[in-house]
Amino acid sequence: MSHLELIHLHKSFGHSVAVQDFNLSVQPGEFVSFLGPSGCGKTTTLRMIAGFELPTSGVITLDGRDLTYTPPNKRNVGMVFQSYALFPNMTVAQNVGYGLKIAGKPKAEIAARVQQMLALIQMEKFAARYPYQLSGGQQQRVALARALAIRPQVLLLDEPLSALDAKIRLELRQEIRRIQRQLGITTIYVTHDQEEALSLSDRIVVMSQGKIEQVGTPTEIYNEPATEFVAQFVGHINLLPVEILSPAEGLVRLGNQVLRAGRFGHLNGKAVRLAVRPEELNPGRVDGLNNLSGRVESVTYLGSIVRIRLEVEGHLLALDMFNERRLKLPRSGEPLDVHFPVEACWLL
Amino acid sequence: MNARRSNFWALFWGALAILYFFLPLYGTLDFSLRMKRGELSLQAYQIVFSDPRFWEGFRYSTLMALITIVISVLIFVPTVYWLHLKVPQARPVVEIITILPFIIPAIVYVFGLIRTFSRPPLQLTLSPFTTDILIVTGYVVISMPYMFRAVDVGMRAIDVRSLTEAAQSLGSNWFQILAHVILPNLRIAILSGALICFATVMGELILASFLVRPALGPYMALLGLTKAYEPAALAIISYALTWFSLGLIQLISRGGTAQQFTGR
Repeated sequence: MSHLELIHLHKSFGHSVAVQDFNLSVQPGEFVSFLGPSGCGKTTTLRMIAGFELPTSGVITLDGRDLTYTPPNKRNVGMVFQSYALFPNMTVAQNVGYGLKIAGKPKAEIAARVQQMLALIQMEKFAARYPYQLSGGQQQRVALARALAIRPQVLLLDEPLSALDAKIRLELRQEIRRIQRQLGITTIYVTHDQEEALSLSDRIVVMSQGKIEQVGTPTEIYNEPATEFVAQFVGHINLLPVEILSPAEGLVRLGNQVLRAGRFGHLNGKAVRLAVRPEELNPGRVDGLNNLSGRVESVTYLGSIVRIRLEVEGHLLALDMFNERRLKLPRSGEPLDVHFPVEACWLL
Repeated sequence: MNARRSNFWALFWGALAILYFFLPLYGTLDFSLRMKRGELSLQAYQIVFSDPRFWEGFRYSTLMALITIVISVLIFVPTVYWLHLKVPQARPVVEIITILPFIIPAIVYVFGLIRTFSRPPLQLTLSPFTTDILIVTGYVVISMPYMFRAVDVGMRAIDVRSLTEAAQSLGSNWFQILAHVILPNLRIAILSGALICFATVMGELILASFLVRPALGPYMALLGLTKAYEPAALAIISYALTWFSLGLIQLISRGGTAQQFTGR
């Protein structure tokens, strides 16, 4: 049986639909990320799980218990906010112990649990400090400890790293995953950062305009995007308009150049687009693989990789190469052939 | 050269402003000390402080001010909290309502009160106690702009929504959220509003005069009609009280705990 279940969840604000027909089963200890652009309904869904928003229709259950209309303070769900939301009038220790104090736990038990939580986030020395005396990263760690101290059944994180700088974000991301694995707590993580979602999650729910576009493991989402939206939102992708030559064999034509698609199960004879990731392309021609000829439009350094843009049959195609010292880069305007494996491309 | 010239004008206008504000005050202070011919003395102050009507007015106004503050806090903290949390779209309407005491003259307001509450079904002007109830409600309305704004500014300084939701997710009910999270973080704002409220009630004249209650305002006005030096002494005492309140606000909001309460 699933741990957390969201069944046909729907949420409207007046005439505006925020979430529609959202269905998801989360297993115990699973780390699930809701990924999507601003306004796609991911935070609204999280807030419905937390109890801060009531669904217009649908059901939320936790271990078989119907939570749909349970008030937030009776759900036993921990929440970490983007703005930390630490209580400014309380010290770190008081913040962490607040939920236990409200639950009427004995003082000794609260003190022990606070110590345990501070040790978990490696902030034992900061117990007597106030939130304003901490950095953003430290405040978010305390917020995490505070949410975990009450031993919630589900941990909800609403873009917890968005307000932090890149380096701290990376450190804290690893720490969140470490703590989640250590405690084995079921976690729902909301983010618009694909890298965060790909690196942290057991499964990712990609959302757009209030609907689920795809649910899958990071590998499935990246390598086998189900829709054009997922393909474009997660990572970079080349989408080339092609004409179908043979639906049975997956043969397509781009201008005068013939290619074979690796996945083409849903072909219905209409004009479609060929999708291929920039890192799947390599310079040169190789017999037996897909080959394309074009002209270099631009070469851009992006640190560890170099992105080359080719013009192929009137369309732009991106090719990513590792930035090695001995790499010989083509110049703008030069002709360039590229190849990619059949299984690295698919039709959308 | 330009900087020097602008410095000169800044100093000039600054000095003029100080003279404009402090010269009348100095004049009143000087006058209040000249009751004894040919020497400076505190005789006017001694007379005021030995007058039992002064202490009666002072005690009455202080009590009314304290009751007004308690009622104002009980009304405005939950109201402003709800406004921030649940109905932020109602803010423009509520803001207009809160400045009505500035727009409607106190004399119009007190006539309205007397006309409404001196006849059945709610006849409140019959006994001193019920009149005190009426005067306190009047003070609450008069001090509403100050208390509302003080609490509103305090709420804006904290992320009310996130703090409320964080407390809720940790198991708090509404009372616990207000008591443990919202009120402690609004301490400075509430204190500021309370002190302004206190200063307003202590100097209020019209409500107390027309409802015939022994407050400090009517006593000061009465003294002004019959005496020369004592009203000046009273004016200085009144100023001192107001400045003491303002100083206290400054002291508290600049204190070491300010950051702790606002989280900044």
